[in-house]
Amino acid sequence: MGLLSQRRIFPILAIFLIIFIAGCEKKYEELDLSMYQYRDTKNLVKFVYDASLILKKDGLKSLNYFRNNRARYRTPEYYLYIYDMNGINLFHAGMEYLEGQNLWDITDKNGKKPLQMIIEALANPNNPHAWVHFSWFEPGKFYPVPKSSCHFKVKTPEGAEIFVGGGMDYPHEEREFIRIIVDDAAQLIAQKGWAALADISNPVSKYNYRDVRVFAFRPNGELLISPVIMDTAFTQINLLDCVDEVKHKPFVKALNELESQDRVWEVFIEKNRYKKEPIKKSLYIHKTSINGNAIYLAAITDLPEPPY
Amino acid sequence: MVKHANPYEYSVNQVPPPGHLFFLSFQHVLILFVSLAFPILFASQLNETTEFAASLVAFSMIAAGFGSIIQALKLPYVGSGYLCPNVVGPSYFSLSMSAAWTGGIPLVRGLIIIAGLVEMVLAPIIEKLKKLFPTYIVGLVMAMIGISIIKPAISSFFGLAFRDDATKSIDLVVGLFSLFVMVFANVWGKGFIKMYCLLIGMLAGWILALLINPEYRYAFAAVKEYPIFALPVIGPQFRGIKFDFGMILTVIIVAIIGSLKSFGNLLVAQKISEPELTEPNFIPIRNGLMADGISTVLAGLLGGMAVDTSSSNIGVAGVTKAVSRWICVGAGVIFLMLAFFPKFLTILTMIPKPVLGGSMTFAGSFMICSGLEEMFSETWNPRKTFVVGIALFFGLSTGFLPSLYARVPGFIQTLFTDPLSTTTIIAIALNLIINLDVMLGNLRKKGISKN
Repeated sequence: MGLLSQRRIFPILAIFLIIFIAGCEKKYEELDLSMYQYRDTKNLVKFVYDASLILKKDGLKSLNYFRNNRARYRTPEYYLYIYDMNGINLFHAGMEYLEGQNLWDITDKNGKKPLQMIIEALANPNNPHAWVHFSWFEPGKFYPVPKSSCHFKVKTPEGAEIFVGGGMDYPHEEREFIRIIVDDAAQLIAQKGWAALADISNPVSKYNYRDVRVFAFRPNGELLISPVIMDTAFTQINLLDCVDEVKHKPFVKALNELESQDRVWEVFIEKNRYKKEPIKKSLYIHKTSINGNAIYLAAITDLPEPPY
Repeated sequence: MVKHANPYEYSVNQVPPPGHLFFLSFQHVLILFVSLAFPILFASQLNETTEFAASLVAFSMIAAGFGSIIQALKLPYVGSGYLCPNVVGPSYFSLSMSAAWTGGIPLVRGLIIIAGLVEMVLAPIIEKLKKLFPTYIVGLVMAMIGISIIKPAISSFFGLAFRDDATKSIDLVVGLFSLFVMVFANVWGKGFIKMYCLLIGMLAGWILALLINPEYRYAFAAVKEYPIFALPVIGPQFRGIKFDFGMILTVIIVAIIGSLKSFGNLLVAQKISEPELTEPNFIPIRNGLMADGISTVLAGLLGGMAVDTSSSNIGVAGVTKAVSRWICVGAGVIFLMLAFFPKFLTILTMIPKPVLGGSMTFAGSFMICSGLEEMFSETWNPRKTFVVGIALFFGLSTGFLPSLYARVPGFIQTLFTDPLSTTTIIAIALNLIINLDVMLGNLRKKGISKN
């Protein structure tokens, strides 16, 4: 009986398959995904990271590979795109007609300039996977969708600097997303002082996306940037008096904790008219100062819900 | 293997030999682990430390382990004497979360104590409800208990950690493999293979997961950080007990619904353990609810999460035909002891979710079919058709259309909570209404015969 008789070949094939599948994950060992909660987000970062490894290894000639395998880089969940650092599209798995065009000034329906935001994010060490949030559309469709995209900058063997990215339509709200913009806002305050507040409250800045908004307040709860509308004069709230659905005061608790640290995560509970159970929201606050005056920067996002 | 005169491998009062007792108990402990996701998620949503999470898990396990022991020991007035162990109860998760935000762990403890007391008060009342539960409604409750496992079972089967997140084909492979091994071992296996079908399936699934999904292997790196033995730390969060009278009504409602679920579980445990009974014996059920209430109070006193009887374990007992209450005692002892051995505890919490999903699907299938079998074991008539049909329509709709029930008036929201309790309440009410003419006729006959 030969070594590869019919009875033996299946177990051998199964072992090879297991080794192959197990080996597939090895390349992600250097990729830190611990800051993300959702599998969808992790999958997207891996998807873009995979493409960045190909570009890093094979350089610009790999663009032909991407173009010849377009279907592989356009899934029902997300698609891949590659640009140079001046905003010229080199490859787009979902919208082929964009290839060769310069999208540097392209603007979404809210006035955001995604390409310019991406270039800024790629240079930001506080945003390791260069996340940007904007409004876009699905290939062939005619209505806007909210989008969050991650990016990797690649220096090809030829010496060209390009970036590769991919985005998720209707993304999950990751806590990491608000950590990035609040910490960035604190950095801006450190650089520009009071003048930074105008940039942070600007609705087309990166500090505002979807229903997320970086807001600022003093230790006594007085608002500097309202969490809800542009003009603080009409907000008529003191954050220290604010209570959630179960009468918990998230800002009071957070400020107590901020006496011994400079950043804190707080949770509060709110009602959602479409759900019987209340929903949980997460509040991230970063303590900073301007000319010796303590101020707090914060943003709010949803918390993941248990699967059942 | 020794052949028993009864249809069981080990009947309710039989003590299995020590080796079998250990492995059968361990088989049940593996299923109990699925519920530990709740204290872990609870701690993470409160942004608490790992030490807090470890203590919360340990206190919850001590309460659940103790509850399983007293449930099966059959002490005077306490414990059903059936294989019906305790898990960390999902019924109280949202309530505990609200309480934690309002008043921290001291308020969670206070509310859990009240919930346990409510169940203890309800226990003697249940005994008086004999007339409300004819055989076909007992069967319906049994089937609904199996149906109520569907959500946690299937979301675990697909390896889902959060609602609306992505699924992974590899998880589906692991879940299916694990489930098929269990089914094969149960259907075609004999003796040990049949009796340990769940354990075999879970281990086979776990090994496959380790081979094909590196995430499960990487997770093992965390094990070395945990000591072999450790006592739970009573941190500042666990000190004090608080009560909030504004939340009492909500606690009472949740406790009644939780008690109803435990009542159903105990009914099923009785049906599996003593199939010769022609109608429910409410004394062990009353004692079982008392034991469940006591262990819930204990969970509150300790600072753990509220406990609840486990539907999946009852299903496993039914499938394996090993219904000895001593297995429940053994499972309780192991579960309780594991609370003090973080290294082993951590290893067991790494059982892949799809494997746990497979085991719950396995146990749930048995529960659903046993319930249907019980329901249709007596002569059927149009009255029963409408009692069961209407109850199922509205009961299951709470699971199918949760957003609809989020927008109905408050009193309907209170009644229409989840498929199990809604179906049970509606079935009981309809059974009384539709049979009103029969009851009045019986009363009239009694009156005539007296005259």
